[in-house]
Amino acid sequence: MATLGTSAVSTPTAQAIYRRRRRGNGILLTFSFAATIFGLAWLVLILAALLYNGFSGLSLSVFTETTPPPGSAGGLLNAIVGSLIMTVAGVLIGTPIGILAGTYMSEYGRHNQLTTVVRFINDILLAAPSIVIGLFVYEVVVAPMGHFSAFAGAIALAILVIPVVVRTTEDMLNLVPNTLREAASALGLPRSIVIRNIAYKAAMSGIVTGVLLAIARVSGETAPLLFTALNNQFWSTNLNGPMSSLPVTIFQFALSPYPDWQKLAWSGALLITITVLALNIVARAFLSPRTSK
Amino acid sequence: MVDAAMTGLRSTGVDSAKLKRMNSFRVGDATFRGLTFGAALLVLLLLGGVIISLIHGSIPAFSAFGLDFLTTQSWNPVTEKFGALAPIYGTIVTSIIALVVAVPVGIGIAIFLTELCPPVLKRPIGVAIELLAGIPSIIYGIWGLFVFAPFFQTEIQPVLIDIFGNIPGLSSVFAGPPYGIGVLTAGFILAIMVLPFITSITRDVFDTVPAVLKEATYGLGCTTGEVVTKVVLPYSRVGVIGGIMLGLGRALGETMAVTFVIGNAHKISASIMAPGTTISASIANEFTEAVGDLYTSSLIALGLILFVITFIVLACARLMLMRMNAKAGN
Amino acid sequence: MTQTATTQNGLAEKVSIRNLKFFYGQNLALKSINLPLYEKKVTAFIGPSGCGKSTLLRILNRMYDLYPKQHAEGEVLFDGGNILNPGQDLNLLRARIGMVFQKPTPFPMSIYDNIAFGVRLYENLGKAEMDARVESALTRAALWNEVKNKLTASGLSLSGGQQQRLCIARTIAVRPEVVLMDEPCSALDPISTAKIEELIDELTADYTIAIVTHNMQQAARVSDYTAFMYLGELIEFDETQKIFTAPSDKRTQDYITGRFG
Repeated sequence: MATLGTSAVSTPTAQAIYRRRRRGNGILLTFSFAATIFGLAWLVLILAALLYNGFSGLSLSVFTETTPPPGSAGGLLNAIVGSLIMTVAGVLIGTPIGILAGTYMSEYGRHNQLTTVVRFINDILLAAPSIVIGLFVYEVVVAPMGHFSAFAGAIALAILVIPVVVRTTEDMLNLVPNTLREAASALGLPRSIVIRNIAYKAAMSGIVTGVLLAIARVSGETAPLLFTALNNQFWSTNLNGPMSSLPVTIFQFALSPYPDWQKLAWSGALLITITVLALNIVARAFLSPRTSK
Repeated sequence: MVDAAMTGLRSTGVDSAKLKRMNSFRVGDATFRGLTFGAALLVLLLLGGVIISLIHGSIPAFSAFGLDFLTTQSWNPVTEKFGALAPIYGTIVTSIIALVVAVPVGIGIAIFLTELCPPVLKRPIGVAIELLAGIPSIIYGIWGLFVFAPFFQTEIQPVLIDIFGNIPGLSSVFAGPPYGIGVLTAGFILAIMVLPFITSITRDVFDTVPAVLKEATYGLGCTTGEVVTKVVLPYSRVGVIGGIMLGLGRALGETMAVTFVIGNAHKISASIMAPGTTISASIANEFTEAVGDLYTSSLIALGLILFVITFIVLACARLMLMRMNAKAGN
Repeated sequence: MTQTATTQNGLAEKVSIRNLKFFYGQNLALKSINLPLYEKKVTAFIGPSGCGKSTLLRILNRMYDLYPKQHAEGEVLFDGGNILNPGQDLNLLRARIGMVFQKPTPFPMSIYDNIAFGVRLYENLGKAEMDARVESALTRAALWNEVKNKLTASGLSLSGGQQQRLCIARTIAVRPEVVLMDEPCSALDPISTAKIEELIDELTADYTIAIVTHNMQQAARVSDYTAFMYLGELIEFDETQKIFTAPSDKRTQDYITGRFG
């Protein structure tokens, strides 16, 4: 055994141990590198498949014609418009509720029990299975009304929007420095005006990011629409009746045995993915100048 | 100029106009505060509403079948005999497969991003992984059905059958024929879907490990691998498990991707190559076509079971991540 | 102003602090403070970090009310009324007792709106009147010449010293009676500091000013009265000249000669 005076590193045993340690290190690092390539590969493969299969079917008629019966030509117009209507309605309902709730948590109840509980529950809603939200809306909206409707679909999407917006609003308002609130209060501004005119302004880019991410999330949602808005082969803008949407149409067409429908499903899938990824990237770009400050 | 400024700014004390403003402010303040409070309560009510409506909707099923509903495999709309065992089994098995694949890969990527990655690539790779999380479920579904499953059927499944076919115990788990679609395929697609969640949370908790702790370990002459396995992972264990649970929560409730590739068969097979079903896939496939109250109610009861399971998993995940944050001093 | 007390030295007490105690949760941060703020005079608060001088300042406009678990006991008389009364309207109080903070805090809006925003809440001014008010406030804060051509630019685009003068302009634009300043120069360069000190001197014509400062020379330069605080207690309060030349307490002497703090 080496005494403390001599270097232990140069003995043969020590060098053997060191070689083994280096090998272990090499294996771990190689694995983590391979894992990263593996993870990124899926993104590339999925996008490549979408472009390959979806792009060839993209023509003007996709945007100008409604969904066809099997075997004939058509487009996705009614599905695109239906998705837009329900997404916009869902965001319009969900965003104010989410912003107000997030405002309570950050501005009024930052340290109280209710906020802790709401944050916990909100985080669970954020990750709750969306199909369960569909069942809930079926129970409380569709069943009492007696029929499927775009309105019910919009409610289901709104319920998915709320937790995203609550979370980002609270986080972003928490980032607003207290000195700014104090400065505004010191002028004699009432609390509600401090929040609406100063805190919201300072947190604006973050809150917009949250809303964009919420739009991105709901614009691809299928499960909560299956038994709320259902689907509609025809052009319809009636909120009180069943309405077509891109995701549900993709679901129906992709699982059909008709090649025309499958092709339209791919084109729809490409459209949704481009939209969602664009929203994600724009949302991040919106936020980055703030966070880098 | 300065004289004018002085008189213009001389204070005037309180007049009646100011007092009137004050009163309107007080009303405005109370109204706004009330609105925000109401919205916060609504978030709680939503969760309560989901639970109550699911319980209410599943009463017919549970009163008809009792707790046998949980342990019965048969699912027969014609005779109106329903049991949840096959979907529960499918949900759990696909989620386990997803975690077996996604956990090591996710932790590997997190290690790469925090310890190895050149700073220039950190953000692009991080964003790319998060974009993977942004792709809607249905896209994974259509890709899984048309691209991944055929490839899996011709290239991977025969190999797996060959490898495990002669190993007692595993031969029945990997028994053919290779359909392409099935429990294993669904589990694999789920793995790709939950990978970003596990990666981003693991990376975040790795970042909470104090730099001095890592430096001290490097200072002893440890390799990067040793720093990760001996210091970073033990230090952030609770947070990593929280992240895994969060991924599990996603996997359990994921609907569309699974519905496309699992085969939708209400039976429990020993082989993970065989078609099966999950709770969410059953609901998505059958709910609009369900005729009769008992059928509908049984599907809602499935939803209730799914919600209870994911609620417990997600609650555990959140509690663990909260503990981790408290440790990091946030 | 008729209720304002007049003391033996012939000065009116704009604010009278009596037996004031302050708590952070269970911790007693201020122990029975008694002190006047004389009308149209500058009172400086000095003392080592954590002595409670900023805490005291933040009681005078009840800024502490924004945070839970903080409370004050005793009396702070302002024009005869106790501002610690639960019924005190805080917005009104803060409109009458303005505050300037350690770090400049321009609002995320234009230079013009930074000033007009607070005024609009309490007064209905026409465009011309508002323009005049903004100009006079900026002139008073010695900022007008630097910003008169870019009133629509963001308040955040100004330099640190300009931002702080903007905050002072914003404060006096709502025409308060008392201005509280919490280390207003600690984040500024010497030139900006000199400008702000000049400004404080000018403002005493109309306002009662309380300033917390770390810088003893600054206290000596700008104030008429000085209060020395230590560990939550008021050790000595007197005319600034007396405090800096012949303090009566040993601890005051030690502090101003730099033996601690």
